[in-house]
Amino acid sequence: MTKVHVIGVGMTRFGKHPDRNAADLGAQALLEAISDAGIDPRLIEAAYCGHVFQGMVTGQRILAQVGLAGLPLSNVENACSSGATAIREASLAIRAGEHDVVAAVGTEHLTTRFAGALTPDPGDPEAAVGATMPAVYAMRARRYMAETGMTREQLARVAVKNRKNAAANPLAHFRKEITVAEVLASRPIADPLNLLDCSPVTDGAAAAILVSDRVAKRLGGGRTVRLAASTLLTGSVETEPTSMTFEPLTRKTAEAAYERAGIGPDEVDFAEVHDCFSIAEVLRVEGLGLFPQGEYPGAVERGEADIGGRLPINSSGGLIGKGHPLGGTGVAQVVELVRQLRGEAGDRQIPHPRIGLAHCRGGKAVGIEGAACTVQILVR
Amino acid sequence: MVPVHRGNGSHDPLTDPRRGVETDSTERPDGADEEATVTATNQATNPVSFRPGEFEVSPDGSGRLLGSRCRTCGAHFFPIRAACSGCLGTDLDKVRFATTGTLYTFSVVRQSTPAFEVPYVLGYVDLPEGVRIMSQISGCDAEEVTIGMELELAVEPFGASEDGTPLVGYRFRPAGAVAPR
Repeated sequence: MTKVHVIGVGMTRFGKHPDRNAADLGAQALLEAISDAGIDPRLIEAAYCGHVFQGMVTGQRILAQVGLAGLPLSNVENACSSGATAIREASLAIRAGEHDVVAAVGTEHLTTRFAGALTPDPGDPEAAVGATMPAVYAMRARRYMAETGMTREQLARVAVKNRKNAAANPLAHFRKEITVAEVLASRPIADPLNLLDCSPVTDGAAAAILVSDRVAKRLGGGRTVRLAASTLLTGSVETEPTSMTFEPLTRKTAEAAYERAGIGPDEVDFAEVHDCFSIAEVLRVEGLGLFPQGEYPGAVERGEADIGGRLPINSSGGLIGKGHPLGGTGVAQVVELVRQLRGEAGDRQIPHPRIGLAHCRGGKAVGIEGAACTVQILVR
Repeated sequence: MVPVHRGNGSHDPLTDPRRGVETDSTERPDGADEEATVTATNQATNPVSFRPGEFEVSPDGSGRLLGSRCRTCGAHFFPIRAACSGCLGTDLDKVRFATTGTLYTFSVVRQSTPAFEVPYVLGYVDLPEGVRIMSQISGCDAEEVTIGMELELAVEPFGASEDGTPLVGYRFRPAGAVAPR
């Protein structure tokens, strides 16, 4: 079975784009990925498009924008893991031997679809009693603080770190650093989370060109990065209440990825994780096994997760700093991994990374621990 | 325990003693024929549940959360499921959950959808059957809410249907704070 490689990536600036739409953002990202790969666009055999709220056949609108027609294309929705799922689908098509060159695009024009707190689907029993995504994570934060003694200031430091990284990322939604005091003084959203603990409502798109071994050898040049694992799992239906301060779903998805890639968590050099809220980064990083349970807040305080630290987390700025255009997020994480692994990350470059991990987790449905979780491992 | 009559004539698993659904043995209202009452023409005077598939309201105003219990392995689920995630069995009983629980965690929600007036306290409540229910917490100031506090279910106004019918839903209040009916 062939291995899968990423030979080109592209992304738009993340932010508020009132004069754009999901299709033309996606097209911009795809054209950049094609250009980055240096391939004739006619070589693309199939495409997958991840988005959540952009309506029917958004992926086809993207292909139409860039002049590509006649390709098999599937639009995939997996909440905040939609883009990551598009990457996985593209990799499966290659591994299956069906295609050699596949495009994965993730896009979202979220500012025209949502304002304020994101909520689960209105039909969900928890949405019916007032669930919002910030509230769900706020409840987990409160419990985590009660169990581990994490302070509110420690939690704020996650957002401060990611906004600092975003300030060094020209494509990030936010380019201004913030302080712990500013996080604590920002508008309360769902106690204990404040506005600056939350990822923003963002428009943006990202794209990647995935290829087989055969094509990578022919076209990849020296900038090829191998997608060593791309795993996806749905959360378990709980038969009894379980801890909400640990993420079995993240752990299981990561273990499957580590096994596929033939590496352990101790070999990961840096990671992009789904920090939709400051507490989410804590839960994810510990779920991934990158830091011991209960110890990440202290590690952030000591600078271990900074660029230049022991294990940089969210060098791109993460969802909190770079922004979170739902469908675009999972692909944008892969863009960051590829740029870091190639040494093309500019002011936020991590010194000589070899293995990067990306984690997404999306959706909320009553009675399951998490809806869709993905882990990608990229190796230079 | 008063049997609840069903329109289809089959036994009601909720009250079938063979199932040993001990959690259903308390607080059933003494209101004989539920089905007949619900379909009666005086509906306007009876409370209407905001989510009848998940929350059952009796004519006397009491309410119970509905779920499933696996007859094979005993696991409980909210909401009602088609199969058990523990053993994958499909032999599930519909059950009414206990009306008491313990607060696992909570938040004071200050930004929400237009359907909800903020602020409100939202929490996860662990019920004795081993299910965790998300619910608003009412009946006390937000400052009084603490992890681990004992709660009981209260039936409270919960918006209105599209035709303007007032609806009732569930919130959990500090145990002892629910006014006796």
